[in-house]
Amino acid sequence: MTSSSAPSRKALSKIATNRLQKELVEWQMNPPTGFKHKVTDNLQRWVIEVIGAPGTLYANDTYQLQVDFPEHYPMESPQVIFLHPAPLHPHIYSNGHICLDILYDSWSPAMTVSSICISILSMLSSSTEKQRPPDNDRYVKNCKNGRSPKETRWWFHDDKV
Amino acid sequence: MMMMNTCGNNLSQECIGVRERCEELAKSSSFYRIVYSEIEEIGWELLRRLGGDLTFFSFHVLDKKRRAHILEIQLHRDYPKSPPSVSADVPYMFTLEWSTSSRLKDVMHQFQKHLDDLQDFWSVLDDIDKSLSVVDAKQPSRASPVRRIHAGNDCILVIHINFDDPKSLPECRFIGPVPPATHMNNLHNLWRRNSKKWSKEVSFPENLECILGTELPKPPGLQEEDDHQQIECGICYAQFLPTDAELGARSGTRTDYTCESISCNKSFHSLCLTDWLRSITTTRQSSDVLFGNCPYCSDPVAVKINNK
Repeated sequence: MTSSSAPSRKALSKIATNRLQKELVEWQMNPPTGFKHKVTDNLQRWVIEVIGAPGTLYANDTYQLQVDFPEHYPMESPQVIFLHPAPLHPHIYSNGHICLDILYDSWSPAMTVSSICISILSMLSSSTEKQRPPDNDRYVKNCKNGRSPKETRWWFHDDKV
Repeated sequence: MMMMNTCGNNLSQECIGVRERCEELAKSSSFYRIVYSEIEEIGWELLRRLGGDLTFFSFHVLDKKRRAHILEIQLHRDYPKSPPSVSADVPYMFTLEWSTSSRLKDVMHQFQKHLDDLQDFWSVLDDIDKSLSVVDAKQPSRASPVRRIHAGNDCILVIHINFDDPKSLPECRFIGPVPPATHMNNLHNLWRRNSKKWSKEVSFPENLECILGTELPKPPGLQEEDDHQQIECGICYAQFLPTDAELGARSGTRTDYTCESISCNKSFHSLCLTDWLRSITTTRQSSDVLFGNCPYCSDPVAVKINNK
């Protein structure tokens, strides 16, 4: 079991370190609109501030994303969760887990932190109601022991929101 | 290029059959006899296509710079009294000089001379195709004097090369976003202001960059050849694999795999690509080859597993 708050994960491989350094440079030169990387010296965990897009339900709301990279990034997807309080959204659980296919089955090394952020913002922006997923309580209870969302078997049944 | 080779092979085989058929026909009428002997004079190996009644055929002709051209010839029933009709992939056709004693090889000579006259014209165009980013032109027609060149920021230069004087200042139009972006207005103004600087002594791309005062985008293929050392892997983002005991002999190697889809063309270390393909369940393996999809364009890829 991997804990999302205190990673007992292995250090980044050389390949992962090199790639992340390049992604970070690219991010600093060309950050996605609406996002701010909080500067730390930890390459393996990025904390990113998200500002809801103007004209959407989340306009001016600020949230924080926590991105943890596995040893063999980008062969494996990063773990991306919202820190408390997570936005109210039909695909975001109250523990911060996000039901978004590219974070799990549909991940590809052609994606980047930046492209993930853009997908998450677009998911927020297309929401028509600030509401938790219908199975929120059951899901969150099952995750009590600090389970990573990457261990969840997700069903991606809705691509409207 | 490969297409052309394949074609050539098929056709030369076909030509052997064609020659036999032609030989048969030559026994039956004087028209066929004439055609047969005149093709023979030019050489059967240059014949590319031959109509069933021997009134239509085409020849493969190389010019001085070894560019391939096809000359199509149509004979009329009263040939050689009336001259053949000729057509080819050229910007304008030459006027055929013909007398009753003329033969097909004379047509070939005149065509060859016409090609000689067009050498400068094609050299300018080849230079453009080779060193600038030309819009949708994998293999533009040899007849076309027009090139659409990417000038950055969605602006396109439409250049019309004068075949009588190909090194002179070409006609140029600008196409870009509506309403015109500053970038395009700038280019347009520079062109008007600096067109006097055009010099026949320097190459077309150099002239263009001098007049517009900016480096124009390079063709995607060239960038790769030029910066061969600098191609980064689409997965690990590095040109060279790190030096690592785990990687063994492959420490520090360059990208060695390129997605074959022309629109994608992404480069990878085959090690990175196999690592990725092995990490997903849709990949299939057959002996030592992994079959999966390019992480960028999803086109099929096949990578040989390189054991450490």
